Amino acid sequence: MSGANGFEPKIVAYVCNWCTYLGADLAGTTRLEYPSNVRIIRLPCTGRIDFNLIVKAFEIGADAVLVSGCHPGDCHYSAGNYHARRRWILFRELLDTLGFDLRRIHFTWISAAEGRKWQEVVTEITEKTRQLGPYTNLYAAGNFKNSPANAAAAVEFKTLAAENELREYCRKLLSEGAVKVVIGYGARGPVIVTRPEDADRLVWNNQCVSNLAAYLKRKEVKTLGRPAIVVKPCDEKSLVVLEKESQIERKGIHVIGMACEGVGEPKCTFCAARTPRFADKSFGEPAGPAPQPSPAPNRFAALMEMAPADRMAYWTKQFDRCVKCYACRQVCPMCYCERCIVDKNRPIVIDPAPSTKGVFAWQIARAFHLAARCVGCGECSRACPAGIDLALLNICLHKAAQEHFGFDAGVDPNAEPVIGSYTLQDKEDFIR
Amino acid sequence: MSEIISQAALRALVGEWIAEGKCLSGPVRVKPNLVLYDELRSSDDLVLEGFVRPANSIKESIFPKQEKLYGYKLRGNSIELIDGDAAQREQVVIAARPCDAAALPILDHVFNWDFRDEFYNRRRAATAVITLACSHHDENCFCTSVGLNPSSECGSDALLLELGNGSYEVRCITDRGRALFGGKLEKSDQVGKADSGPEKKFDAQAIRAFVTQHFEDPFWKEHALTCMGCGTCAFTCPTCHCFDIVDAGPAAGNARFRTWDSCQFSTFTAHASGHNPRAAQPSRQRQRVLHKFAIYPEKFGEILCTGCGNCTRNCPVGLGVLNVATEISHG
Repeated sequence: MSGANGFEPKIVAYVCNWCTYLGADLAGTTRLEYPSNVRIIRLPCTGRIDFNLIVKAFEIGADAVLVSGCHPGDCHYSAGNYHARRRWILFRELLDTLGFDLRRIHFTWISAAEGRKWQEVVTEITEKTRQLGPYTNLYAAGNFKNSPANAAAAVEFKTLAAENELREYCRKLLSEGAVKVVIGYGARGPVIVTRPEDADRLVWNNQCVSNLAAYLKRKEVKTLGRPAIVVKPCDEKSLVVLEKESQIERKGIHVIGMACEGVGEPKCTFCAARTPRFADKSFGEPAGPAPQPSPAPNRFAALMEMAPADRMAYWTKQFDRCVKCYACRQVCPMCYCERCIVDKNRPIVIDPAPSTKGVFAWQIARAFHLAARCVGCGECSRACPAGIDLALLNICLHKAAQEHFGFDAGVDPNAEPVIGSYTLQDKEDFIR
Repeated sequence: MSEIISQAALRALVGEWIAEGKCLSGPVRVKPNLVLYDELRSSDDLVLEGFVRPANSIKESIFPKQEKLYGYKLRGNSIELIDGDAAQREQVVIAARPCDAAALPILDHVFNWDFRDEFYNRRRAATAVITLACSHHDENCFCTSVGLNPSSECGSDALLLELGNGSYEVRCITDRGRALFGGKLEKSDQVGKADSGPEKKFDAQAIRAFVTQHFEDPFWKEHALTCMGCGTCAFTCPTCHCFDIVDAGPAAGNARFRTWDSCQFSTFTAHASGHNPRAAQPSRQRQRVLHKFAIYPEKFGEILCTGCGNCTRNCPVGLGVLNVATEISHG
């Protein structure tokens, strides 16, 4: 059985209790021989497979992973496999962006009656993996070198025309009691204004970078009463998603939309939004020609041009700098869980140390929880004190949602969210 | 008389130290607009000009972001403990800023107070710090407000000062510093210059008086409203030293690790019962300032801040010690 060099692949198979597990059982009882390289882990449903499990299998030495469940239409829980299929479509893109070797990750549908298919699949995967050899470049930094080229030109500071109008408007809102608090921009960063006389602290210029929608999740701000919030068109999209997810009540918030002339890279790479669409009150006209999202080769395109092993080296090197300050999570309007998965310690799900594994696990969890929810504001990249371009992971999932499901988070308030729904037509060309 | 070294000779020396097996770290440009202290794999990685200060701190060399305390093996009902990290290599931190070097004597107190922390002390003893005096400051620097200046020698084994012609004056401060440069320095009558430093921005004693007398004060609530509760300030601070101890299970090789922790995290003071004595962000912001300007000085005599400005520079929402201190001193 063993290969020329004695390499025996280790394959972890996550299988559904109701079909594939029984299919494997059937293969056994009917005396169908298949390689013993596969280690079966039984789960109640493919819909219940946490994606960090796939990654974890590689971390503890698997050379390939197989995920197998019921054929479409056969799910014991009606639709678990449809939900799983949708997530696999997105998750594969994330793993690809991170540089995982997709040739080592297999998806199949195998029913309880398909003992023979189980035999074939396992035999074939084992053979294929044997040819690929051991998975040695997982989290391998190789000889990756930081390239300090491509500095983005700094945006020259410019106060924008609407500043005074904005101040006056907010002063009026506060003095009339229409709102209790204004969440806006100040000279050094965000400011939260509660008194009309402080409205002069508000500014509006081309360096108002933060996405203030993140303050709507903070307890300290919520207790102050009805807020008015200053949003750029890109930030406004977060409000659409937050409302869809029942995190805010649109009627309870006064939205002040600002026409935006761009705040520079990296925030504007993929954004062409210029004018607010859902604001209660809008200010300013975008000056000059409409901006184009950065054409290829932009930073995402440049990343995807690398070979997968080089991408893995890139991320390993970047994540090496992560100190787990969680600024990426804290500044994200969509990261609003009361208790984040990394803060759960009974049991510990994600290695809390800023080790390579711990950071990969955390960033995979963060990016995937934001799949087709992230509006691409780029705050995670901006906030990172280690300069890790985390938004690339979100961009990858954003593009995947666009390509596969025609979904653009935060654009159409009536669109059905990608995760949590499915269609019978979802693509499955990668599933055997 | 002074002693000088050319930049080329300094780089050659760094290369020699690396070749000798010493672990070198210093400023490295990792992105166009980002310089970090990082391990130097070759002397070419070392960046000596064109930045105010790295966005992290040299504490990483002595108090790393994660440190294995010990490993363990389970055998039936018995547990066998395995020692932590391997023997400590000799380390040299080169081109540290004075505000980084000055943090080490401050940290020594807390790691040797009621308990001698063997991990910290082992790394500390194996580390030489060669400081490069600042030639620029930015609007976030405030070393002069906490009793330091751009050419402070505190915590350094040797201090480099730019001569302006591609060479440096070297002031060997300790025997260890002298031993590192032994025989490589030239005598000269040139004297290096440092930046004059930022103007004094607040009075540290006044901050201490305010924070001790205004524990319950609307100021905190107002000041902390925009804080997002991340750990950026603490993790890039040269003096913040809180840590957590975590157990990594079999997948991570059965070990107990020490990792950094931050008082700005909501879980920092969370009790097992669910009660949290610092339930909201204002009390956490207050804690950080209180610890730096009152609690630490009360216990150890020194302010837990070297004025590097990293917390303000790195804060995603523009807070940090400088801003709160400025707000306090302007009433």
